[in-house]
Amino acid sequence: MSHGHSNPIEHPEVQMASRGSYLTGFIIASLLMLAATILVSGQVLAPFPLLLTIMGCAGLAAIAQIYFLLHIDISEHNIWNTVALVMFIPLFVITIGLTWWMFSQLYLRTMPMIPGMPGMH
Amino acid sequence: MLVNVPGPWSPLLGRLALSEIPYTNPILAPLFVVIVLAGIALVAAITYYGKWGYLWKEWFTTVDHKKLGVMYIILGLVMLFRGFIDGLMMRTQQMLAVGPGDNGMKAMGAIHGYLTPFHFGQVYSAHGLIMILLAATPLLVGIMNIIVPLQIGARDMAYPYLNALGLWITAAAVFLIMISLFVGDFSHNGWFGYAPIFELAYSPGVGVDYWIWTLELVALGTTLGSINFLATVVKMRAPGMTWSRLPIFTWSAVSANIIALTSFPCLQVALALVGADRYLGTHFFTAGFGGNLMLYTNLFWLWGHPEVYFVILPAFGMISEIIPAFSEKPIFGYTAMVLATFAIAGVSWIVWLHHFFTMGMGPYVSTEFSIATMLVGIPTGVKVFNWAATMYKGRLTFSAAMLWAIGALFLLLIGGLTGMMLSIPAVNYMVHNSVFVVAHFHMMLLCIVYAVFGAVIFWFPKVFGFKLHEAWGKIMFWLFSAGTFLVFFPMFMLGFMGETRRLDWPFDPHWAVWFDVQEIGIAVYVLSVLAFLWMIYVSIRDRAHHRVGADAWGTSRSLEWLTDSPVPFYNYAMVPHINARDEAAWRREHGFSESRPDHFAAIHMPNNTGVAVYIGALTFVIGFGLTWRIWWLTVAALILTVLIMIYRSGKGDPGYVISAEEMEKLDRQSRQNMSDGQQHLPKGGGYTGGTVTAYSAAASDQRPQGTPPGNSRPLS
Repeated sequence: MSHGHSNPIEHPEVQMASRGSYLTGFIIASLLMLAATILVSGQVLAPFPLLLTIMGCAGLAAIAQIYFLLHIDISEHNIWNTVALVMFIPLFVITIGLTWWMFSQLYLRTMPMIPGMPGMH
Repeated sequence: MLVNVPGPWSPLLGRLALSEIPYTNPILAPLFVVIVLAGIALVAAITYYGKWGYLWKEWFTTVDHKKLGVMYIILGLVMLFRGFIDGLMMRTQQMLAVGPGDNGMKAMGAIHGYLTPFHFGQVYSAHGLIMILLAATPLLVGIMNIIVPLQIGARDMAYPYLNALGLWITAAAVFLIMISLFVGDFSHNGWFGYAPIFELAYSPGVGVDYWIWTLELVALGTTLGSINFLATVVKMRAPGMTWSRLPIFTWSAVSANIIALTSFPCLQVALALVGADRYLGTHFFTAGFGGNLMLYTNLFWLWGHPEVYFVILPAFGMISEIIPAFSEKPIFGYTAMVLATFAIAGVSWIVWLHHFFTMGMGPYVSTEFSIATMLVGIPTGVKVFNWAATMYKGRLTFSAAMLWAIGALFLLLIGGLTGMMLSIPAVNYMVHNSVFVVAHFHMMLLCIVYAVFGAVIFWFPKVFGFKLHEAWGKIMFWLFSAGTFLVFFPMFMLGFMGETRRLDWPFDPHWAVWFDVQEIGIAVYVLSVLAFLWMIYVSIRDRAHHRVGADAWGTSRSLEWLTDSPVPFYNYAMVPHINARDEAAWRREHGFSESRPDHFAAIHMPNNTGVAVYIGALTFVIGFGLTWRIWWLTVAALILTVLIMIYRSGKGDPGYVISAEEMEKLDRQSRQNMSDGQQHLPKGGGYTGGTVTAYSAAASDQRPQGTPPGNSRPLS
């Protein structure tokens, strides 16, 4: 309540937001999604490089959304955003990492190999 | 049309046709008639008594967190009843169908029992979805809605309008699943869905679409709610309410909403991908074209396990409030309790795979998730011992709320120990998909239901100003407990005997006797429902005799018991300054219970708004339009929703200000109402905390309601 309780426009979270950053985030995320869709539907690359490419697109899109749309960074004046980031990293590692590990173990036992994937035969 | 749906489709009505209304079904058609007649009677009664204006102004358009909470709880109780009827139908089907041969009711078109397999599939799918997401979740969100702002000394939630929006979107989900009874079918592939049976090729009807959009809506409503709760607790605490003084229930709400905020989007993505498969013809979860069946199960339980802790943690919080109040002691091990809550929340993200140990991902992965699952037992054990230590050498009052809380501990013990058994992959392989698992998670969910009933009885006087009838609350408790025992212990036995879940035809005649016992249990549950309704009726009828003061139980501990009962719309005339962890108990012990603010200040309150109701109604239309593929309706409702949102964002809500003089008048009025209601009544107090003596003629002295423990027998 110390800073402009009655006027939400004065809150630092609102002050930091800008139309430009929202639009940039939206355009970057949309372009990356479009690129991934074209690559997949056109089958431009071999399966394994394709997998890596769309994963790269997804990673970039996630970073763009976190930075431009959610304004999450490690600046000092916005402590709750930093808390959110600290929360996000382990959750990301858990959900993506453990899923990856689980599916790799499952595929070892049940699936034919994806062509072009290194280390498998 | 992006994919070709089987059957007719028209641009105007989509897949909707008169033949989709099951007017020939011997169960649904009479039910439909009854519901229409009851609906007409209700509308006629409201019109006759001229209550539409009151309902619209005081309830539908409100942004008051207490009224929204009450509506959440009513919604949850109605759906709890609907889910219970589904359970009753399943128990009856299995009792009738058990055994070899052709024992079906031909008039109903059934070969076994009285339900066709397709209908039975819809019943169990609806039961699961309703009980977890449309009964337990609204009940818990409703209680959090009422209590969390009161416990931290706030005037309302951080975003009152968002709060109303969450309620009305949840209500839209409820309407969507209810209308699936009478228009079309509901999903038959279980409450969590299986790939690829929910794909269009294998489930061509609209049932799965109803299931997708109901889940999407309730997920949206709950996500919005969780943002609101976190912002409220972070930003709206009264001066002096440091993190280390936060009541345990508020702590559990914080942990639960962190889980909800981080996990519900995962459900939304999983279902959006199912939707893409069914509507756009993609292949995320098909067996061919590079799809992956298990990816769905993985994504679903990535949300699903945090979700079950989202519902159990507030229940733990409720137990942690009820037990100290009726033990007349502060909670034992506050810090350990908070840490245990967050440990459970933390572990909730790394155990989801135990829902599908049998998938075949091998020993390394299974071991990791098995150990992680076993870890849950440590903080839960800490909590159970803390509750036991709170009761140890306390002055226990076995009021109805306390009975429900203690009952919840017993269920937690049974559910927890069977959960430990299930966390061992070797055991899990044996009992996977058997009713042993069903009995285990019903123990856990009933633990929540017990805590919720306890919390409803405990906080009812705070919200409405009078207590629920104690004796009927206890009768209901014992009936409900007998029902639980009779239904779910046979279910454990049946699990050991090898019955798999979701059998429309249990073929083994050896199971028959257990099904009969379960049916008796269901009959006892019916009695407990009647006892509940009677308790509500008796309490409202005799409300003048059960009026309470600010501290309804006389031994209450946390901040919410300082304000008037019923809570005025502004919560606290002046924002209280917090001096201790259990503020109400601290003020009672230091003689400040009766102290009033010496001056008043102007306060700022939000305006009512109908926008949330309109957006809720439109989200229902969107869900209905998507389900039946009526594209014009969906697009129109979506555009309208966006326009209303832009309009509301542009307009904002300046709120209104109540002047200091007006506040003084309101405060005096509220105090007057409270003491007027008590004047002619017997007063309670002493070491029973007013729960027993309040009703006996012997206690008709004029002591203030709820004598502090300091004035009664000293502790130990």
